[in-house]
Amino acid sequence: MATELAGLVDAERGLISRRIFIEPEIYEEELRQVFARCWLFLCHDSQVARPGDFLTTYMGEDPVLVVRDSAGQVHAFLNVCRHRGNRLCRADDGNAASFTCAYHGWTYGNDGQLTGVPYLKDAYHGELQRENWGLVPVAQLDSYKGLLFATFDPEAPPLLDYLGEMAWYLDNFVDRREGGIEIVGTHKWVMPCNWKFPAENFGGDAYHVPWSHLSAVKTAFSTGVTTKPNATGHMVSPGNGHISICVGPNDSGEPPVPEIQAYEEQIRPEVEQRLGPRSRLVNPIVGTVFPNFSLLRATSRTLRVWHPRGPGKTEVWSWVFADKAAPRHVKEAIRLAGVRGFSPSGTFEQDDMDNWQECTQTCRGVVARRMPLNTQMGLGHDRFDPQLGAWASEFRMSESNHRRFYGRWAQLMAATDWGQLPNGAARETRHA
Amino acid sequence: MRNEDVIREIEQFLYREARLLDTRRFHEWLELFTDDVRYWMASRSNRYPKSSKAISILDPDRYIEDDVGREDELAVLDETRQTLAGRVARLDTGMAWAEDPPSRTRHMISNIEVEAGDTEGELRVCSNFIVYRSRAETEEDFYVGARQDVLRRVGGAWKIAQRKLILDQNVLSAKNVSIFF
Repeated sequence: MATELAGLVDAERGLISRRIFIEPEIYEEELRQVFARCWLFLCHDSQVARPGDFLTTYMGEDPVLVVRDSAGQVHAFLNVCRHRGNRLCRADDGNAASFTCAYHGWTYGNDGQLTGVPYLKDAYHGELQRENWGLVPVAQLDSYKGLLFATFDPEAPPLLDYLGEMAWYLDNFVDRREGGIEIVGTHKWVMPCNWKFPAENFGGDAYHVPWSHLSAVKTAFSTGVTTKPNATGHMVSPGNGHISICVGPNDSGEPPVPEIQAYEEQIRPEVEQRLGPRSRLVNPIVGTVFPNFSLLRATSRTLRVWHPRGPGKTEVWSWVFADKAAPRHVKEAIRLAGVRGFSPSGTFEQDDMDNWQECTQTCRGVVARRMPLNTQMGLGHDRFDPQLGAWASEFRMSESNHRRFYGRWAQLMAATDWGQLPNGAARETRHA
Repeated sequence: MRNEDVIREIEQFLYREARLLDTRRFHEWLELFTDDVRYWMASRSNRYPKSSKAISILDPDRYIEDDVGREDELAVLDETRQTLAGRVARLDTGMAWAEDPPSRTRHMISNIEVEAGDTEGELRVCSNFIVYRSRAETEEDFYVGARQDVLRRVGGAWKIAQRKLILDQNVLSAKNVSIFF
């Protein structure tokens, strides 16, 4: 199957088979080859700040329990009881010393150890080795500047190598000020589309903004930076399938909210100092860490995961964030911009759903499925820019990022081990 | 005025409001709000109560069992009169794709309770809603929850001075919230 799948993406010519958005067999293979191997975003450190704090999430379709144990160490386990496979923790979040399965009462400590088995002495005759039946941990768990990631693949490269040069682009969202960011709140909802449509959109689609979102710009919910004819910027691919939409250094995606605009003006020298000389070349305002973690700093500020739920369904988990050091009134303005711009009701975001839904659902037709998707915009008009540590498009709109994203997807679908995958751009030494 | 008459009047006010929404008369609907209105919709989370035996709580001081979004948390909607007007203006641009073609809605309002408000000219009104949305060919959504309104007498007419909406879902099953409640 692997060889056949590799032919579904022709990144060189910008042609993508629509089969990858609808066929159940390809989706199953994607769960194995992409989601069970890549580093996936779990949550921000501040969401499990204190001993016992936990939250439940997913890696692909696998339910995961993230918990800080009583000694202060963070773990991520399959949220599945080892006995009958029941979901262990059924709450979104909370604080716990231990978790007890609702089915037969097996109890696990917040470090994953199986501590309690009802009738252990009588029914198991004391012969069940509890130390062998603790919760199943992820293969690797690591964090980058407060962003907690995990992978189910013990062979996956270390997180910093996986992120590669994308790390600097992440800094533009989470490390603009001392103390990093904090989470302001969460939105969760279901979209009837394949997860790759929002992932590619957030990582590279400046092209849809002047049409899809013009109504929000016209009615003052967004400044619509990329709709302006004199805007500058590039589509930037730092490698490994990670992609970012960058505007020019003097352009800003901040919403037309006086508190936020004034704050940004005030902190700009500090941010430039922190991010270094590259921030005088580009301003990354949206991006996707391959495969399904996106970040946004335009109109609103959100981190989000596109959880796959079958080929035709995606569950969006979106967190509004703010610089921890920002004053209270600015955080409040950011909270409101999040509700009004990027949320289920967001004046910007709500217009995306129908497009992604219909791009997915029309793939159900066997004839419509034969028609390849066109991602040819700017083909041959991007180059590696050593100053950006990334491939960058000549013009501010291009589908060069789409081609890199789907190109990486195809490589992962075909590769049996990480050694077969090309490496992204080398990391700057300051990230080593 | 007898209590029964006030209740009847408020019921009729809410039913008329529902009809304005279902017939997409949004500019007339906006006129029902005071200039200082806060229009807010929270969703719910999924938490164990403190008494649950599914977990043993490590730090009771940090434990939150309330499952309704707080007012300083991220909401589904958190609007002023001005931003509500902005949302209506957006629908008028001819480019508000989430509502083009428009949703077909039916607002069902029930369980209406009327109580005295904080001042003489105000009433507290609780109600429940089921909003059905049909869209495109076969899309269907149900938005179900509770309303807590403050109605204020302004120039001889009732106006909505505050509206809190609790949507009884954790993960919203609708792809968007492009309609009003």
